[in-house]
Amino acid sequence: MFNVKISLFARTRDLEHNIDNLHDKIIEMTMVFKEAVDIYLKERRSETYRHVSKKIKTIEHDSDKLRREIESKLYEENLIPDLRGNILKLVENLDRVINLFDEVAHKFYIEQPEIPEIYHGQLRELVAQVADCAENMAIASRAFFRDLVTLRDYSQKVYLLEHQSDKTAAKLRRQVFESDMDLARKMQINNFVEEVADIADLAEDCIDALLIFAIKREI
Amino acid sequence: MFEYLFFLSSGLFLGWSLGANDASNIFGTAVGTKMLRFRTAAAIACVFLILGAVASGQNTAETLNNLGGVNTLAAAFTVSLSSALAVLMMLKSGISVSISQAIVGGIIGWNVYNHKPTDMDTLASICASWICCPVISGALAVLLYLCVRNILHHTKVHILWQDMAVRVGMILTTALGGFALGANNMANVVGVFIDSNVFSPLKIGNIYTLNGTQVLFLLGAVAACIGIFTYSQKAIKTVGKNVLSCSPTVAWIVILSESLVLILFSSETLERFLLSINLPPLPAVPVSSTQAVIGAIVGIGLVKGGKGIKWSLVLKVVSGWVATPVIAFVLSFISLFFMENVFKQTIFMP
Repeated sequence: MFNVKISLFARTRDLEHNIDNLHDKIIEMTMVFKEAVDIYLKERRSETYRHVSKKIKTIEHDSDKLRREIESKLYEENLIPDLRGNILKLVENLDRVINLFDEVAHKFYIEQPEIPEIYHGQLRELVAQVADCAENMAIASRAFFRDLVTLRDYSQKVYLLEHQSDKTAAKLRRQVFESDMDLARKMQINNFVEEVADIADLAEDCIDALLIFAIKREI
Repeated sequence: MFEYLFFLSSGLFLGWSLGANDASNIFGTAVGTKMLRFRTAAAIACVFLILGAVASGQNTAETLNNLGGVNTLAAAFTVSLSSALAVLMMLKSGISVSISQAIVGGIIGWNVYNHKPTDMDTLASICASWICCPVISGALAVLLYLCVRNILHHTKVHILWQDMAVRVGMILTTALGGFALGANNMANVVGVFIDSNVFSPLKIGNIYTLNGTQVLFLLGAVAACIGIFTYSQKAIKTVGKNVLSCSPTVAWIVILSESLVLILFSSETLERFLLSINLPPLPAVPVSSTQAVIGAIVGIGLVKGGKGIKWSLVLKVVSGWVATPVIAFVLSFISLFFMENVFKQTIFMP
């Protein structure tokens, strides 16, 4: 009996660590992604970029593993029965954000778009806003498990950053299409800008769902 | 002895109804919110219900005796049966009702049939407890709810640990609720049979000896346990899920408030203490656990803005509280007529 209790205690603590680790992975991913785009813009597909790209793959792989562990533990231990469905959905949403970071970074590696230097500043700004947006989403999501007031504060930041990133993306795309580049190149750059901005949109969707879950979470 | 057991069968039937109906109040919200499995909750509640009934079930029996000392076995059988049928009728229609009200209706039916005056002071005290019980339970629930909400807000405990704490709390409260139900409500079930009790003391090993009345209460408690396991899941659907869609933490607060109220109304020590400090006493009266639960749920619902409460269902339950004693009264009156004139049984000893 005593062992059962200790083991349940330990498993709950493990699950708590897994959830925290998943959030850490998102924050780590946002930083590595920013670094990766910066390196790409400076050096294109260099050895350093290859190295950072590998790091992104590892984060994505680790977070997949964490997601599966969280899902199975929640069901095996029959924990938080009333919110279990919401938490599974939340964990899947977080994983989708991480996957999208990985996809975009991998696309840079495969397609190697040629981005003229005049757009580098704006692209860096967009990437910084998107990364910030995802980071705040992770903090808000972490707060869902402990403190609902903090969740609301960070949700507002996510909405604000998503709006800013939309504006930056729209400005950049307009400038690209107004340039003298050939259409194929314009389309390729436009496609990249859209995909980067999509990360912030996904983070915003995640927060929308999270705020609904929070209503149910209130006692 | 055989005759006694035959007549006691209606009391045991009422005991079964108590288990079937009131178990939902002890752990209905815990099972409804999937925090405890039905079998686990039922087993814990049964053990403590038996302990409560045997250890302090007799405290509230005196009040019922003051209301109307049903003094023949056949009359006790009829009053019990009428009350049990009234409860069963309401249960069949999916309404969680009050056994206390049913038995009071049945006893008054006996008084009226025998042209015996009902002790209005006792009746007033019982009726007052029916109003006080949900009000006190509601107030207690609101107080606990605000405390817990503030504690959670300031401590920022992880949701997983909250879940574990609530689960442990629910197990403890289910035990407390079972004990309280046994202590407060078992007099409803077998109280009318005390005067004609024939059981002799029962030795449990060399540790403890149950007196005759305790044996009677033990039988009633066992009948209630059978009711819990065989029929309580239907009533749980009403209390646990339907009246207010509540979180497990709120569910726990509801059970805790209900159990505390039942204990408040069972304790003679508390009654003496309140009198000693010149406060109005809470009499040892069998109150309704259903009323306590509904009071707690509505109290918390109101603090949350009242939007989550399904008022139509609350009204349905409250209408059941009015209908139950009336139905029990009518059934008791008619059955006593048949018992006396068709079955030629003595139903009153002057």
